[in-house]
Amino acid sequence: MSLGEPLLEVLDTLRRQSWEEVEVFHKKGRSRTMQYTLYGDSTSLRQEEGWAVRAGDRRRSFYYAASGPPKPSAFWPEADGSGLRLPSARPGLPWSPPSNLDAPLIGEGEARGFFSGLARELDHELQGARLLSGYLDDGSSESQLASSREIDSHVRHRVASLHLEAVGPSADTTSVSLDVADRDARHFSPAALARRLADLLLVAEKGPTRPRDRGEFILAPPVAVGLLAALSGLWVGPEAEKRSAMLIDRNGRLGSPALTLIDDGRLPGGILEAPVDGEGQPTRRVTLIEEGSFRQPLLAWWQTPSSLKRSSGCSLRPGWRDLPSPSPTHLFLEADPSIRAVSLIQNLSRGYYLIGLSGSPRIDPDFSRFAAPVSGFAIASGRPTGTVARAWLVGSVSALLNGIVAKARDLTFSSIGGGMVGSPTVLVKGLELRQQT
Amino acid sequence: MSDTPFTQLDTAGIARTLSQIAEQPADLADAFFERIEKVELPPADQPPGLRVWRESGLAIRLLREGRTWLAGRDQIDPEIFQDALRRVARAMPRAPYPLPDLGDDTWEEPPEAPEVLTFPTAVSQALRTHHIDFPVNLTVRRHRRWIRVVGTHLASGTESESFYSCDAEMPWARYGCLLDELSHEKAEELARRLVNLYRARDAEPPPPWRGASILGASATAVLLHEAVAHALEADTLAHGGHPEAALGVRMGSRLLDVFDDPSSAPSSVRRSADDEGFPVVRRCLLRAGIVEQPLCDTAWTRRSDRLTAGAGRRGNRHLPPGPRSSHLELIAGEHSRQSLLADAEGGLYLPEADRGRLDPVTGEFVLRFPYGRRIENQVPGALVGPCWMRGRLSDLLDKVTGVGAQTSAAGAGWCAKGGIKLPVWATCPEVRIEGVEIGP
Repeated sequence: MSLGEPLLEVLDTLRRQSWEEVEVFHKKGRSRTMQYTLYGDSTSLRQEEGWAVRAGDRRRSFYYAASGPPKPSAFWPEADGSGLRLPSARPGLPWSPPSNLDAPLIGEGEARGFFSGLARELDHELQGARLLSGYLDDGSSESQLASSREIDSHVRHRVASLHLEAVGPSADTTSVSLDVADRDARHFSPAALARRLADLLLVAEKGPTRPRDRGEFILAPPVAVGLLAALSGLWVGPEAEKRSAMLIDRNGRLGSPALTLIDDGRLPGGILEAPVDGEGQPTRRVTLIEEGSFRQPLLAWWQTPSSLKRSSGCSLRPGWRDLPSPSPTHLFLEADPSIRAVSLIQNLSRGYYLIGLSGSPRIDPDFSRFAAPVSGFAIASGRPTGTVARAWLVGSVSALLNGIVAKARDLTFSSIGGGMVGSPTVLVKGLELRQQT
Repeated sequence: MSDTPFTQLDTAGIARTLSQIAEQPADLADAFFERIEKVELPPADQPPGLRVWRESGLAIRLLREGRTWLAGRDQIDPEIFQDALRRVARAMPRAPYPLPDLGDDTWEEPPEAPEVLTFPTAVSQALRTHHIDFPVNLTVRRHRRWIRVVGTHLASGTESESFYSCDAEMPWARYGCLLDELSHEKAEELARRLVNLYRARDAEPPPPWRGASILGASATAVLLHEAVAHALEADTLAHGGHPEAALGVRMGSRLLDVFDDPSSAPSSVRRSADDEGFPVVRRCLLRAGIVEQPLCDTAWTRRSDRLTAGAGRRGNRHLPPGPRSSHLELIAGEHSRQSLLADAEGGLYLPEADRGRLDPVTGEFVLRFPYGRRIENQVPGALVGPCWMRGRLSDLLDKVTGVGAQTSAAGAGWCAKGGIKLPVWATCPEVRIEGVEIGP
């Protein structure tokens, strides 16, 4: 059955009830999840379906969401609060959906085989290390949005996410975790994931080296992504321009020439690539910072009503229960296709290769300074000479943005706050490492 | 359909249908029916006005030899039931039973919550009585949930929960709480807590302190939730070996008698059966500091006959059950408030904790207090800023040196273990703790 019929029925019903602004959203999805633990596993096959209505006029409005297919006979809540304004349909760029949306979900046997292979590879990488738990979710969804302002959009997604927790061989080691996402669960490589877990465990087990040090820092994608996300107030939302202005130098630069930051809701190959966002507004590629110069913040249509050209479709609506909310779609630091990550490490004479965050970075309210709990390796002459754990990477935000001197080609995304944030491995100067007390 | 959902389920027919997939003697097959409603009043400056979420659905589960298969759906309908059953079946019989009658799944009442609409005004009025004016963006929600579990041998009655959550956002802090009712008293209590946060907003954190400190009932509830309940969940214990091995182990001070009892929770969230349909029990987690019975769901009791089911909770129908606490109780001690404070001169009085975390592998434990007071002349005096309690679980609970004689409902909040959000409740007295570092 087409998604549209019950949805349009609800739209018509509410319009007949004289609501000026009406929007109906309908989403269906199916997913297979496997939860792996040391003592057994569980497999779930979910079929989810739900819908949501926003309706109102200049003085009042309501929001109603329910499971199942849209029903025009629902009990609408009493309209109250502020008025509601919805966006109008706007033309977007031509769009071809990705070709691999129809791949079947991962099978139960495949998922079980994946986890047992990963546990085996982990023990091979670091003898005695154990995979404590894993959560694999492979799902596909389709959604439709229609409104009284001529919006009629249809979007399909395919997302697989994986959460892993592992523990090292020694008795008093802490556990480490890893989160990754891809369009197809079959792209997760047990060998590559085992290596990443083993590196994190090795660092956690060996512990700290120097209490305080400066030098050059190579930030692996998870560390750089965590910092980009924590600093999103500098480039996302209407306040971003004002905040960034405080950090712009006399040459008009916010960061080094290596800093080019982009948000692209239709990023080819991006997990969330779509022609429109959760309010039916066309997605596009927006350059937020270009070679260190601030260009514009990421804005949804209602955040820049007088200049819609500055806006882009960036209202996320992860599920039918969620109200649309502005957020990065695929926000990323542009990679350098000519540089391999390994060559950044090989060319490092003395410094640190930081591979993981053990918590959320802390940013001062005025974006003056930051501190990120990190772990990784000490490097000398391109080779690891020790490990660093329970350490803080600290410095001024300005030093971080201006200290990016090189970046590799390994652009990697993480799922953060419903959107995707990505970065390649980057080389940064001018920061400091401190041991946690 | 009557006011209470799931009363018209053909439980015998459902049980017969489920028996088709429970082919082996030790198999457990059940059907979980769920209805959820959330009504939210967002802060005054945010459209749309009243927000309502209503959902219902079912899940079929098969538990066999340590493995679980689950199929969840967002509608309640015999054919959907049959399809979910097929998804979890390992083998289907050639001649299935007829589809069971699942009753009518229609909501019969409009989504009204007048108490939600008036509560922000009551909080504003209560704030004014403190002669302090500061901006607060208050979100108020009413949560209602009905569930019923039907298995091959067991059918629980319909269980229901109704409670409220409030999130207050201020320029200097955020505060969230769960309430079993919205009343003038609750509005005044919330206002008092917001005023305390306001007054403490610029207070300096205390220097590291290892002497005696008093945890208020609310902070004690968070401590027990993190350090006792999470530590004694069978899946957490399994990180270090078989959960059964915890039985009889000394975990804390002899002063600690801790229970989990969903049947004595506040009346609107009181339960007689868990989310697996098993009768809840008054479970003694710690008796005189010694582990008596961990928190277990059915899957764990199948691995040991010394473990007791009745603490299975589901985040929603799409998630398998897991062992979780519902309503923690710390049995009152002998100390009056004065005697607790008298033995903690110069220490800290910490009325509430806003977050905590236990690393299940290392046993490292942290608890954050948004503010506190220095105990001076046997009363809580000057404000101190945010501080943390850090330590190893094995040391921490042993450091409780006094338990208050007066208990109160306190410390209700959301538990988000494993990303699964569940409301938890507690009834606790104040406790005195010594020799644990509390610092910035």
